[in-house]
Amino acid sequence: MLDCHRGFVAGPWTEQIDVSDFIKRNYTPYEGDASFLKGTTKRTDSVKRKVDALLIEENTKGGVLDVDTEHASSLLTYRPGYVSRDEDIIVGLQTDAPLKRAVNPFAGYRNAEQACKAYGYEIGDKVKEEFRYRTTHNTGVFRVYTDTMKKARHAGILTGLPDAYARGRIIGDYRRIALYGMDRLIDERRRDKAHIGERDMNEATIMLLEDIQKQLEFMAQLVTMAAEYGCDITRPAENAREAVQWLYFGYLGAIKEQNGAANSIGRISTFLDIYLTRDLEEGTLDEIGAQELIDDLVIKMRLVRHLRTPEYNDLFAGDPVWVTCSLAGMGEDGRTMVTKTCYRFLQTLYNLGPSAEPNLTVLWSQQLPEPFKRFCAKVSIDTDSIQYENDDVMRRDFGDDYAIACCVSAMKVGKQMQFFGARCNLAKVLLMALNGGRDELYGEQIAPEGPVFDETPLVYEEVLDAFKTYAAWMAKLYVNTMNVIHYMHDRYAYERLMMSLHDAEPERLMAFGISGFSVLADSLSAIKYAKVTPVKDERGLIVDFKTEGDFPKYGNDDDRVDSIAQWIAAYFYEELCKTKTYRGAKHTLSILTITSNVVYGKKTGATPDGRKKGEPFAPGANPMHGRDAEGALASLNSVAKIRYDCCKDGISNTFSITPNALGTDDEDRIEKLVAVLDGYFAQKAHHLNVNVLNRQKLIDAMNDPTLYPSLTIRVSGYAVNFNKLTKDKQLEVISRTFHDKM
Amino acid sequence: MDGYVHSFESMAAVDGAGIRYAVFLAGCPLRCVYCHNPDTWHRSVGKPISAEALVRKVARYKPYFKTTGGVTFSGGEPLCQAAFICETAPLLSREGIGYILDTSGAVPLTDEVRCAIDRSDGLLLDLKFPDDDLYLRYTGHGIDEVLRTLAYLDEVNKPTVVRTVIVPGINDREDILRRYLDRLNGHRCVRRYELLPFHTMGFFKYENLAIPNPLSDKEALPHDVLERLQSFVNANITLQNA
Repeated sequence: MLDCHRGFVAGPWTEQIDVSDFIKRNYTPYEGDASFLKGTTKRTDSVKRKVDALLIEENTKGGVLDVDTEHASSLLTYRPGYVSRDEDIIVGLQTDAPLKRAVNPFAGYRNAEQACKAYGYEIGDKVKEEFRYRTTHNTGVFRVYTDTMKKARHAGILTGLPDAYARGRIIGDYRRIALYGMDRLIDERRRDKAHIGERDMNEATIMLLEDIQKQLEFMAQLVTMAAEYGCDITRPAENAREAVQWLYFGYLGAIKEQNGAANSIGRISTFLDIYLTRDLEEGTLDEIGAQELIDDLVIKMRLVRHLRTPEYNDLFAGDPVWVTCSLAGMGEDGRTMVTKTCYRFLQTLYNLGPSAEPNLTVLWSQQLPEPFKRFCAKVSIDTDSIQYENDDVMRRDFGDDYAIACCVSAMKVGKQMQFFGARCNLAKVLLMALNGGRDELYGEQIAPEGPVFDETPLVYEEVLDAFKTYAAWMAKLYVNTMNVIHYMHDRYAYERLMMSLHDAEPERLMAFGISGFSVLADSLSAIKYAKVTPVKDERGLIVDFKTEGDFPKYGNDDDRVDSIAQWIAAYFYEELCKTKTYRGAKHTLSILTITSNVVYGKKTGATPDGRKKGEPFAPGANPMHGRDAEGALASLNSVAKIRYDCCKDGISNTFSITPNALGTDDEDRIEKLVAVLDGYFAQKAHHLNVNVLNRQKLIDAMNDPTLYPSLTIRVSGYAVNFNKLTKDKQLEVISRTFHDKM
Repeated sequence: MDGYVHSFESMAAVDGAGIRYAVFLAGCPLRCVYCHNPDTWHRSVGKPISAEALVRKVARYKPYFKTTGGVTFSGGEPLCQAAFICETAPLLSREGIGYILDTSGAVPLTDEVRCAIDRSDGLLLDLKFPDDDLYLRYTGHGIDEVLRTLAYLDEVNKPTVVRTVIVPGINDREDILRRYLDRLNGHRCVRRYELLPFHTMGFFKYENLAIPNPLSDKEALPHDVLERLQSFVNANITLQNA
């Protein structure tokens, strides 16, 4: 055995690339409590002070500290950068200086140009010249988009599509670099290429071979990038520091190449724990040193930045990058995958303070060790910085070596990738169905022309028929639009490095999304159980509704409406599956809006549930604010009914409760939050963001941001620094339901 | 028979141990000057629900209850509907769900009330005032029934957490609290004595109902006063079964 692998139990992983097998044979489950954890070192404190100063400067400058406009971002375009050359233990930055943003025009040149302009910069001549003759992903997409696709996009029925920026949501298996070294990975990939080259040279084979060649080029570049930092990653990592460093280099290379919305780091804690444990046993590291390594890695993860346009920030507010880091879960063999390093990652929220990034995601199982559950609950109550996803439902489909990309998207690490597809505004589709295919705001004919409903009370069955017709039309257009986008992305902005850290022929998922979910459910319920009469304007467009009488509302554990909500997800998913996807990807669906629920609401007319024109939707699968009359758990129970089977890209729910409503003291709150999580997930619910805070605190922070400079809250699948939100979004967050006691 | 329910709260975390599902039954014989739920005074405002339907609803929350949680019958005055609670009790028990009563105890000690108490896991007994004079003045009702209920709780040794709302200017003094303690000391059913702060969050209900709010000029009890009085109480209570 290689010296780098000294002390490790051999197995299939030694013969072939199989990180999961390596983990299972070598990790040490931890069932104890948090008492072993350590605080920061002087060095960490010193680095943190430097970072904090930069963050303040970044904020004062309107959100962007600096931009390198002279290069187009890639692995070798910048000289090595450091936070503090003498103090960094884990090295590597996206550009040559911390928080200096790179220009990345590969997915869309105009987008990059506008992003620069928004912050007072202009792309340098060299980059301009370089991209004059270059087709970007964005150019490719618009060459093919049909008029209908453009109209649907413009009207805001399909929005947030990754057609002008990189698609993201792909997780490279960065652990492979630490375990195997790049030489071995490059060898294996060459062998893959040779095998595949034996096949018939049809379109699929040719495309795959070209992909692999691109991967090989970037694997070589990654080796050079690491060498510029003085590290030889051709060989496997020899100790814990190298394991963290090698893994981080892989991630760093990926985000130098790609500026996708979400670039998540995967499931790394239990893998790294094996190296940390070995060093601790060999006596070359102590607990303080182990924590320091994780702290330094997390500092780097907190510095990840991309340059975005203001329109992009409208959809995804607060400058998120989704360095989602999945922790815990259970192994298929029944052992917990909680290790001390899962604790160490959570401990960074104390050592370095609360933070939006990395997006710490606990894979929750009923079987997790109780002390770990309690520690998670404590961290949630103290920092509002973590989210929970149900390992017991995901493990059935994804095994025990999956990770979350972005907010709620599970994928097998290194074995599956995703074609990200933003979301479709189904509340607007209902309005379009009532208006015979016309947009209710502008009157433009978008979908095929159909009958317009009269100004007489709506009949549920008739509305449902019309909705089904238009939802089916929508689903087909949606899949086809996605096919165009991802064909072009593969062609012009292929993720060479990230895909090199996957199996040669990974399974592909195509992830569709729904927004306006609860508005649609309540609207259909209103039509079914109350009396809803359309109101038309002078153009003959239905622009408003008179809703008389009461109706059951989603969020009260009431089957009459919750069954409508269930049906919406199942029906739309079924319709999506009817249209073939590009590259044989598997259809998946999410109910997740990020912060785009505000923008989608703006683009949607009044709805039968009583929501006024332009008012924000509820985020994700959340019930509409103020409509849940039976308290927090009734609301959770409604969301828990949405079946993961038809929403395998995730069902996002955000839960905000005041400390007093949760319990009488810290111990009591911890016990109760654990009970809430266990109870919710026992019903096969998928995801929960947890905020434990008072609304007043948010109002104070809005009025005087200096009061709570690091106030972090969970929004929809991610955490955000409250002060980075626009006033609009702050108000929307404040208006949401905070479960309180009377 | 049907119960008359004012409302439900699926996460009443602070009204008893564990996660509580609170059922607020409508109707109350008291008219406390500091009442923060004047909308629950009349049974007629409640919606009828059968014991079976209630238990079906409650059973949805079993995953959250674990070993400590369960139902809290509150109100209004839940013991005004003791017969309904007695009918619900065996159905809850069949589901493995326990309940506690959040009551003033100011009801006649009928067979139904005894039954509702016997079948409960315990009580939150809201001791409004320590003697007949104050009780009558601030609730419109005498204290005798409360004392009889307390005696019965002792008799069956039902675990009881006693609570008192502290209202500024009415009972926020140690000498008055001493009278509460005299009332409680010696009762074996009492497990704990908690003081609750008067708050103004229910004021809007008076406005909505267009009824006069006798304490409309009062402010919420300051946190530090509550802490001081709770310490006083803790130092002076004698608990036989803590």
